[in-house]
Amino acid sequence: MKNDTIIALSTPPGKAGVGVVRISGKDSLKVAEKMFKPLDKMSDPTPNLMRLGNIDLGGAKDLGFMVYFKAPKSYTGEDVVEFQCHGGVAVTKRIIEKALTLGARVAEPGEFSKRAFLNGKMSLDEAEGVIDTINAETESELKASGQLSRGALSQAVNKMQQVLLDLIADIEVSFDYPEEDIEYRTKKSIVGAISGLKRDIASLLSTSQIGKTIKNGVSVAIVGKTNVGKSSLLNALLGEEQAIVTDIAGTTRDIVTGSKEYRGFKFNFLDTAGLRKTKDIVENIGIDKAKNTIKNSDIVLLVFDASRALDKEDRDNLKLTENNDRIIVLNKSDLKKVCDIMPDITLSAKSGEHIDDLMEMIFDRALKGNFEYDKLVLTNMRHIEILSRAKEKADEILSTIDALPLDAVAVDVREMWEILGEITGETANEKIVDKIFSKFCLGK
Amino acid sequence: MEYDAIVVGSGHAGVESALALSRLNNKTLLLTLNLDSISFLACNPSIGGTAKGQLVSEIDALGGAMGVVADRNILQMRMLNRGKGVAVQSLRAQVDKHAYHLDMKDVLQNQKNLDIRQCEVVEILVQNGKVRGVKTAFGEEIYSRAVVLCTGVYLDSRIIIGNYTKDQGPNGFVNAHGLSKNLASLGFKILRFKTGTPARVDKNSIDYSSFEIQNGDDNIPYFSFIHIGNPKNKAVCYLGYTNEKTHEIIRANLDKAPMYSGLIKGVGPRYCPSIEDKVVRFSDKNRHQIFLEPEDKTGDEIYVQGFSTSMPVDVQEKMYKSVDGFQNVKILRNAYAIEYDCIASTDLLPTLESKLVENLFFAGQINGTSGYEEAGAQGIVAGINASNKLQNKEPFILKRDEAYIGVLIDDLVIKGTNEPYRMMTSRAEYRLLLRQDNADIRLTPLGRKVGLVDDARWALFNKKLRQIERAKRVLNQKVDGKKACEFLRGMGEGEGGVIRTYADLLKRSKVTIFDIKSHFNVLGRIPTQVLNYVETEIKYEGYIKRQETLVEQLKRDENTSLSPDFDYSLVKGLRLEARQKLNAIKPLTLGQASRISGVSPADIAVLSVYLKVKNRLEKTT
Repeated sequence: MKNDTIIALSTPPGKAGVGVVRISGKDSLKVAEKMFKPLDKMSDPTPNLMRLGNIDLGGAKDLGFMVYFKAPKSYTGEDVVEFQCHGGVAVTKRIIEKALTLGARVAEPGEFSKRAFLNGKMSLDEAEGVIDTINAETESELKASGQLSRGALSQAVNKMQQVLLDLIADIEVSFDYPEEDIEYRTKKSIVGAISGLKRDIASLLSTSQIGKTIKNGVSVAIVGKTNVGKSSLLNALLGEEQAIVTDIAGTTRDIVTGSKEYRGFKFNFLDTAGLRKTKDIVENIGIDKAKNTIKNSDIVLLVFDASRALDKEDRDNLKLTENNDRIIVLNKSDLKKVCDIMPDITLSAKSGEHIDDLMEMIFDRALKGNFEYDKLVLTNMRHIEILSRAKEKADEILSTIDALPLDAVAVDVREMWEILGEITGETANEKIVDKIFSKFCLGK
Repeated sequence: MEYDAIVVGSGHAGVESALALSRLNNKTLLLTLNLDSISFLACNPSIGGTAKGQLVSEIDALGGAMGVVADRNILQMRMLNRGKGVAVQSLRAQVDKHAYHLDMKDVLQNQKNLDIRQCEVVEILVQNGKVRGVKTAFGEEIYSRAVVLCTGVYLDSRIIIGNYTKDQGPNGFVNAHGLSKNLASLGFKILRFKTGTPARVDKNSIDYSSFEIQNGDDNIPYFSFIHIGNPKNKAVCYLGYTNEKTHEIIRANLDKAPMYSGLIKGVGPRYCPSIEDKVVRFSDKNRHQIFLEPEDKTGDEIYVQGFSTSMPVDVQEKMYKSVDGFQNVKILRNAYAIEYDCIASTDLLPTLESKLVENLFFAGQINGTSGYEEAGAQGIVAGINASNKLQNKEPFILKRDEAYIGVLIDDLVIKGTNEPYRMMTSRAEYRLLLRQDNADIRLTPLGRKVGLVDDARWALFNKKLRQIERAKRVLNQKVDGKKACEFLRGMGEGEGGVIRTYADLLKRSKVTIFDIKSHFNVLGRIPTQVLNYVETEIKYEGYIKRQETLVEQLKRDENTSLSPDFDYSLVKGLRLEARQKLNAIKPLTLGQASRISGVSPADIAVLSVYLKVKNRLEKTT
């Protein structure tokens, strides 16, 4: 699989201003050109020139840049194309998905560096340096997310491979020793084994949603009209001075992000600008941003001021967040209660009263109570992609086995074994499954 | 008298080697311990079998003799794995072993450029690291520029029956002394392997009512592509079983079994165990299969496949008689185990030339393999390469995706073997490409280039290619939509999907090419075997393409050559074990290097970068 075209996100996953998606391999330019409409009029892509244009997201589009690095003058030594797009999970994920439909495949961890190394662009020392850096990040991420254990995944996959290996051996013995006095595998028993594996893979894959949460963190938007104490609440939750808190309405124009680790999970808090109608252009941009933030967040904390009566703006906010998973927070419990809303929690950001309860409530909502600490959870996009392919292969075997001769079935079963082996590194015919490089996490 | 090449040994490797050399215009001498042992089927009277059938057809496609001669002496022919798909189907023939021997002897005697003589070779003559000829037990020196050693199981061999041992070859033939010691003194690592054979019994002493008849198959092809038509079945085989009584006798006498008494030190094959081995290792099984196979067309001897043993003769008698139908059986020749010397095949290059002595080649069981077919396959390759070396031509190396022969030799020289090596379909990664039915398509053009495919075979081959083209052209013609639907309904197939051509119809699982032929009245004058081949190519198209893609992806490594003089201890970054292994094997390509056990993918990565940097430096200076 050495010259085929691979793609991966090269910047850290999650919300960021800019995301870089890198494609490398002999068809990288072909793939990229099929999904990029430049705004300039040049017919041929000039290497190393940054071009502005629309990146096809499969339906939607994103305005961004495309740079073409011609082989061998590129990071990997092959033809490389990089897209610089707007950051964020949705955009980068859709770029990658689009490229997959055009023939690219998701890069193995460290595959870009591996290729750079193999093409003589990097010495082994340098390559190992890259591995160390990347591994350092991975370790901390592992630590932060608490539960992901590569060992557990390998174990689960090894077990499945073992089942397949047994199956393969059984099929092979019937080919090489057709006249022995033994009970050969029937197609029915092959179907049974493959169906069992498919169930196992599906159940692993079903954890990927929660896996994403572990990987990227839970995004919690804090919403409310001006001066209900959103920034104070953020500070109370984070336990540090993160947002600028004043008494002047409309201070918070930018979305302030702060992260907190709680019970092994990362929570990203987003303080939105006060959702107040205003003529201030800068503030209005803030409001638009806030609306967007609300839309994309996992949990919304809708904050009310206990000392003020419910007004039109409050009611607008209720309407705005009605489709969100929201927690209604009644702040300023230390003041006289005037607001007649039914809160999910009443607290004081100022004194810190019930802040811990709120955190616990957020945690429960985000994890929906179905998370077990010692359960294996998929967080790595590459693992998800491999298991999805294995499941597709299982589906293919199950749907075609009746019509196919056993020698063809044997090819499919072996392929399934090899697909799973991409996780453990144990593949029969894979030539450069390099232990050094397999330690890389995705993207570089 | 000086020869271009001397071949030592006239078994299946030796004859293919000698024929290849002489047919390629090398003055060749074939030396044998016994002229009556030429191409002797010392064990079972059958040729072919799973993966072995493919080997025979590959030898044939290259212009070898085994398939042609086997075809002429068939007693029964079967196609194994018929229900499991074409990739794993293999031909197996019961042959008349005496007729086979005489027929092959005749082929040799009529071969131009080939002399045959009975005598024992005791020494390889070497001059300046290069082979110079051989010395015989009579003390003569015979000179040649190349030598091919095909000594089979004869090197310092001894047979074992209970406590009885005797220094001799199989079937009472004399063995070879001295050569093995000479090879060791030349630096070759000598291994000791073991194999065995069952008793031969009198066909008139068997009660056949206790056995099940095994018939041959009709309408299947010959091994050789120059033989058109279907072999006739002239004999039947029988299937029977051992029983608890047999196993009881074996268990009670295990202390007398040389396998367990420690008398046998050689390593035997796991896949072809003696009956005592089966009883010990699979103690839960209360019966084992035995097959009765005729040794020849007219004689009385029956080979009892599955019943090999090295027990003392009185125990053998009891064991055999305990089998239903064998109550009155008469043993004509006793079963025995045989131990013999062979070399470590990793001392060889992929051309089967030795790394230690130039122009000295090895083929067959001396390389640690088992089986007539494996031997023949190495014989023809060693013969071609010896000839190419003498004539300053390129080495002839078959790749793993081109032939089972390629898999066999690659495994031998790269991985080596610590038990007698038997070919199996599961050893081949690209099984769908290496079929029995396409061996000629794969290899005949190569055999032609080498010079072993004569004009008659070449003309037949080209005729077949034209027939294939014609069949494919017909099948790619448009089919009338209404008629196609009618046809599919009749076949019990759904009418959905795109149906444009006959080929589209053929891709349906229930449709055969013969259904199309008879229903649409097409493909009239194209022979059955060609139709079978075309059907496979179309039905398996997707799978074949997938395997071809895999081959393509690995080509970069397979085409990156490594110098045999390269010193791996110079490559920084290679692990010590990898350096040692690479220096020991001296692979010729990066692909081979990657298959050496103890060389990790990381080592290959280091090596490939080293080569790139080295190439770049060499280019700039």
